[in-house]
Amino acid sequence: MSQSFSQPESAAASQDYPGESRESFMARVRQALGRQQTIAPTEPAPVADQDIVRLARPEDDLLDMFEKRAIVTGMKVIPIKAGDLIKSIYQKLEELGAKKLVVGVGSLPQALGLKDSLRRKGFEIVDWASSPGLEVQFGADAGITDVHAALAETGTLICNSDAGHSRGLSLVPPVHLAIVRKSDILPDMFDYWARLKGIPGSQLPSSMAFITGPSKTADIEGQLIKGVHGPKDVFIFLVQDA
Amino acid sequence: MTTASTQPGTPVDPLSFTPPSHHGEHLLDPQLPYDITARSTAASTNIQLQQFVANGTMSKDTARKQVMPAAFGEHVDDVRYLAGSIKQHALDHLDYYLEQFIERATAAGVKVHFAADSKQANAIYLDIAKKNNVKLCLKSKSMVTEETHLLPALEGIGVKTIETDLGEFILQLDNDAPSHLVAPMIHKDRTAVGRAFTRELGVPYTDVPEELTQIARNYLRAMYPKADMGISGGNFLVAETGSVVICTNEGNGRLCTSAPRIHVAFVGMEKMVPTLSHLGVLLKVLARSSTAQPLTCYTHIMTGPKRRHEHDGPEEMHVILLDNQRTQILREETREMLRCIRCGACLNACPVYRKIGGHAYGAVYSGPIGSLITPMLRGLDNYKDLPNASSLCGACYEACPVKINIPKYLVQLRADIVKSNLGKKADKWFFRTWAMTLKSSLLYRMGGWFQTRMFRLQAGNTISKGDAYSARGWLDQLPGPFKGWTDQRDMPTPPAKSFRQWWHEHEKNKNR
Repeated sequence: MSQSFSQPESAAASQDYPGESRESFMARVRQALGRQQTIAPTEPAPVADQDIVRLARPEDDLLDMFEKRAIVTGMKVIPIKAGDLIKSIYQKLEELGAKKLVVGVGSLPQALGLKDSLRRKGFEIVDWASSPGLEVQFGADAGITDVHAALAETGTLICNSDAGHSRGLSLVPPVHLAIVRKSDILPDMFDYWARLKGIPGSQLPSSMAFITGPSKTADIEGQLIKGVHGPKDVFIFLVQDA
Repeated sequence: MTTASTQPGTPVDPLSFTPPSHHGEHLLDPQLPYDITARSTAASTNIQLQQFVANGTMSKDTARKQVMPAAFGEHVDDVRYLAGSIKQHALDHLDYYLEQFIERATAAGVKVHFAADSKQANAIYLDIAKKNNVKLCLKSKSMVTEETHLLPALEGIGVKTIETDLGEFILQLDNDAPSHLVAPMIHKDRTAVGRAFTRELGVPYTDVPEELTQIARNYLRAMYPKADMGISGGNFLVAETGSVVICTNEGNGRLCTSAPRIHVAFVGMEKMVPTLSHLGVLLKVLARSSTAQPLTCYTHIMTGPKRRHEHDGPEEMHVILLDNQRTQILREETREMLRCIRCGACLNACPVYRKIGGHAYGAVYSGPIGSLITPMLRGLDNYKDLPNASSLCGACYEACPVKINIPKYLVQLRADIVKSNLGKKADKWFFRTWAMTLKSSLLYRMGGWFQTRMFRLQAGNTISKGDAYSARGWLDQLPGPFKGWTDQRDMPTPPAKSFRQWWHEHEKNKNR
């Protein structure tokens, strides 16, 4: 999926707020560091992308690694061929008994016609794009999305917010169906950072979510429970030939 | 309890639900100067608490020891060193990276605020809430809000504020306070949750964790679309992009920062990393050290409010940078302490934490790292027991993913206590006598002779009978100030012959 970035809507209104001034706050920081003026670091920052921390490399079997590590986090992986995508999603929805859906599949060619064919089969597709906020998405039984990238290293899905993707799609419904193509899979987190290199913060999506498992808690006596606030189940449709 | 009048069987409507107005503040903010004795004694004799805390910490500690080498192989230490040096670099140049963060976050549409202390921080919150006529505020887990007592402050102006992290929600309902950085209700069991839910929410009693979770889910989901303001903490700030990063498992963090119209992130200034790549290294060690996950379920990187072409997200995003004595720690002598990424690994590894639990530390930050930063944040004279609440076994240092040399700094703080004359008079007298004895051969021998006889006499051993080394007994109670030592274990009596005696005889025999 292409990255589409643009300027933020507006800076927060330039009202006066209580609190300290930037100058006196920073003066205390500099004093603690033992200097009068803010200076750029004289030594370079440590190199982050080193062999010792890199957990996956381009030459690895990324499809296999992604699948295995996604399963470890509690997500379920359904390997498919591109031609079977729509059929597989339909089958899963039937099995789940889902009726009402929120969908954000961007420009994924394999998912063209997905909404229409689901509609024809009698599913209700919520028009989230024309109602502001997240509220309308709370009624959905499942959210269907593609991903901006996926990480083999950890079995992670990267779901960003943009015009075609609400923040809520992968978060609010009790089930998340994610479409991941082989070509979406990057070896390591460092490869995703490299892709963002040079893009100023103001042009990044306002929300980038690295999803590594279904929503979980172990707060009550350490017992693992899925589906606290986010989806209880994440199904990954792993398109192996695209 | 405000809703105590509700009868079981008539569940409270989530939108008219009001949480109890106490938050167990006294647990994290006791009378100062704080004396650890009462709470640590109570905790160490509370079998149930011992069990909960031991179960919770030891499973995580074991899991961490497995997943770190599984991921990084023989390089675990090098990776910890790298993660530590990244945080250290960011702290060494915190002025530069803070300026960069402020500029880039502002360019992305964030309003950045500065708070010297708790009072200022809360004033900023109240002001944002008032300006926007905020009625309902949802909060994801944040330790700094505990530091500043934000919730009572918001309630004071009529803003209903609900904790959304499951553990924190339960603690809020039960007038309790978190006792672990990552597992806030490690000290409670399921029946306490069931009772609190019945009492405060009016739901029928259950102690099945799945059902309790479902009840909390339903309550909080009804509130998300109605909330005006979301509060989050921040695990990291990224200078390069002006982003705030939160690492959560439940999904409430993403909801609190996405559903309400206003998002206010409240972050200690030390959470800085230079770039997204550096963030990557820390993410790789954070969840593994904390809960043995490769990453938390959700790593949410937020850079400014909703863009024009985006569909949802907050219209306003504020970041409050908090000092609250952090610049005191930032001085060179103690800077390393600020590397902490709040993973909780040192708590899980610590034999003292396991024995006394989090509340015994009498502060927001507990465990080994709490014993360092609490005295720094709130005065060494107020918390002089904490640096001593450690056996200096070094398990914390070994567990720390950013290699904070916790034992070294505990010793440094102990030295500060002595230097600034904050120690107990009896301690001073004892250590002086000790030093004098060790410096004098005569006094040392006399002391040894005396101690051997006293102890053996008390244990019913005699000096002459049996083998000098194996004929030993156990003392189950030492006298006076040494009583504490034998409260939990017996003391072996010294052998009848001292090492010096043995050596003399050995040398004599050799020359024969």
